[in-house]
Amino acid sequence: MTTSATTDTNAPRGKNAPILELADVNRTYSTGNRRRIVLKSVSYAFQAGRMYAIVGPSGSGKTTLLSLASGLDAPTSGSVRFQGRDVAQLGLGTYRNRHVATVFQSLNLLTYMNAVQNVTSAMEITGVRGGRRKQRANELLALLGIEPDDRTRRTLQLSGGQQQRVAIARALACEVDILFADEPTGALDHETAAGIIKVFQKLAHDDGKCVIVVTHSREVAAACDETLVLKRGKLMPQG
Amino acid sequence: MNLFKRAWWRLIGAPGKSLMLVGLFFVICSLVLSGFLIQSAAARAADSAKKHVGAVATMQLDVNGLLASGKNGGSEGGGQNPRTIGSAGDLKRDLVDKICQSSVVADCNYTADGAAFPTKSTTLYQPVPAPASQDTLGTDLFKVDGVRKLDELSDFRNGDSKMIAGKGIGPDTKKNEIVVEERVAEENKLRVGDKVKLKIGSLMPGVDTSEHEFEVIGIYKNSTADTGQYVPAMMAPANQVYTNIEGASLLGGKTTDGGGTLKSATFTLNDPNDLDQLKEDSKKAGADLQIFPISVNDKQYKTLVGPITKTASFATVTVWLVAVAGTIILALVVASNLRERRGELGILLSLGEKKPKLLGQHLVEVVACAVIAIALAGLGSQFLSEAIGNKLLTGEIDSASKEAENDSLQPDYSDPSGMSRQGDDQPKADPIDSLDVHLGPADIAKVGATGLGIAALATLVPGARVLRLNPRDILTKGD
Repeated sequence: MTTSATTDTNAPRGKNAPILELADVNRTYSTGNRRRIVLKSVSYAFQAGRMYAIVGPSGSGKTTLLSLASGLDAPTSGSVRFQGRDVAQLGLGTYRNRHVATVFQSLNLLTYMNAVQNVTSAMEITGVRGGRRKQRANELLALLGIEPDDRTRRTLQLSGGQQQRVAIARALACEVDILFADEPTGALDHETAAGIIKVFQKLAHDDGKCVIVVTHSREVAAACDETLVLKRGKLMPQG
Repeated sequence: MNLFKRAWWRLIGAPGKSLMLVGLFFVICSLVLSGFLIQSAAARAADSAKKHVGAVATMQLDVNGLLASGKNGGSEGGGQNPRTIGSAGDLKRDLVDKICQSSVVADCNYTADGAAFPTKSTTLYQPVPAPASQDTLGTDLFKVDGVRKLDELSDFRNGDSKMIAGKGIGPDTKKNEIVVEERVAEENKLRVGDKVKLKIGSLMPGVDTSEHEFEVIGIYKNSTADTGQYVPAMMAPANQVYTNIEGASLLGGKTTDGGGTLKSATFTLNDPNDLDQLKEDSKKAGADLQIFPISVNDKQYKTLVGPITKTASFATVTVWLVAVAGTIILALVVASNLRERRGELGILLSLGEKKPKLLGQHLVEVVACAVIAIALAGLGSQFLSEAIGNKLLTGEIDSASKEAENDSLQPDYSDPSGMSRQGDDQPKADPIDSLDVHLGPADIAKVGATGLGIAALATLVPGARVLRLNPRDILTKGD
């Protein structure tokens, strides 16, 4: 397991250099005169080729951590580094566009598009090259068990489980370095969930991606290479 | 290209909303385009009216100008007499003939006024004699008008008077030739070719009041019937005698040098804007415009285009109101759509889509609806603008007619004698009562630019507000 020590951004990057680092990350929300500290001095380094589970009780700040790590939000202090470079300098938009993909808990599919269009649209935005986007989208949707007829239906006409799988296919299609998933199997039956975990494992172990999953599921956590616990704003390895 | 594809998917994916946007744009564009069409039709009508009627510039003596110039005294003629205007106040026919040669003058005319006392051979027509107590010394005269072309006088043009024997006054008429009214001819048993004597009709002391012989070259009939009551002879249409400028000058006790003395001259201009050039040419011809100022009587032009101009003004106001209101309404609709689609914006931002492209997608959607609406408006606006324009125009014409009626009941305080008839040198004009609407590429371009401008404003202003948020806020906050 990688330690939580931060690295020198100017140092030459070795083979085992972390792909993602959280360096003394704090996140505070202010409501009127009230300040709520959600994350306190969180530091951690994530490696490529590994699958991580982040667990913790509800309201512990898991989604906030995911938002900061995936560039959807910026920390109050501290830094998020991708391959040693502060993502704030890289540009959050560029970071999201080129290097990370996120499967949201609330699915967040574009409802006026069908399943294939949701996937190809994301591929176009993230700059996935090649004229075979539609074919690749169909392959991914097939891999995740979406039947051909369902692929051309508007996403609102799909079941919750199917929508979850379309959201995962969209994230996989972006061919990014880091995949974040917030409760990716929450709406799925046991068998489908197991299939998706296998896809994530393959993505990490065979394709060398970093997969970070926020979950309440013991099965999912057990399938990951490392499990991190977020409690009272602190992130620490389990056990 | 992705944004165009997304925009297309959205438009066909939410047909109800797309149709609503098209409908809203159609209403706005139709009204704006109708306004533009009415404006351009009015501009064309005004331009055509300008070319058709031109404008009439009048040149006549300004007594105040003459006094201010200091040229009234010490000259020959009556200049030394404090009650008369010297020769510097005489507008000579030869000078006006030179001005008539100006390139901006389409036509010109002039009149001279005079009066003549009856003689033994020529008596006045007075069916009802004056009351015994009435002093008729200053009114028992023939009214003598010197004209260049008799048939161009308004009475002859509009049919109130017409020649019944002989010929009228023209440029080749001699100074001792006259045209008399039928009733005077009958009173004096005159026929064409007869000779009559008339006495100079001036009561000024020192002015020659000798008799001069004239030949009757024509007899005309005036349609104004006798009133059956006493009318001073000079005011009765039957006692109106026409001659040329020199003849009228002679009978008016004025000099006949320089072709005679004019009361006023009128110049019909091709374009009312040519007035400055006319003044320039008049100065070159030797006219002193301080003493003989030139002013334009564009009454006929205004009568023609007045209602249509008011309609165009209303259309302009409508265009602006609709454009502003349309922008606000569309901005609210688009803002509401954007609010509804915050989740979508958040998703796309989370995928790393650039904010300008997100706004671009919304802009493309709105512009696509606008383009369809502009095309539909182009098809329907010609009929719509004709219907609206003609309805408005009818109202304006009615109101202009009522104003004209009221004006005609007002006395002309500018003429103490009450005898002048302003605008008589121009034919009566009816206002333009229909719009000739033509839809052209320029109109489509204008409404296109307006429609697209509205679309851009309505999208970018509310869009910029939404996109200030970061994607996490958009995705996590309900509002």
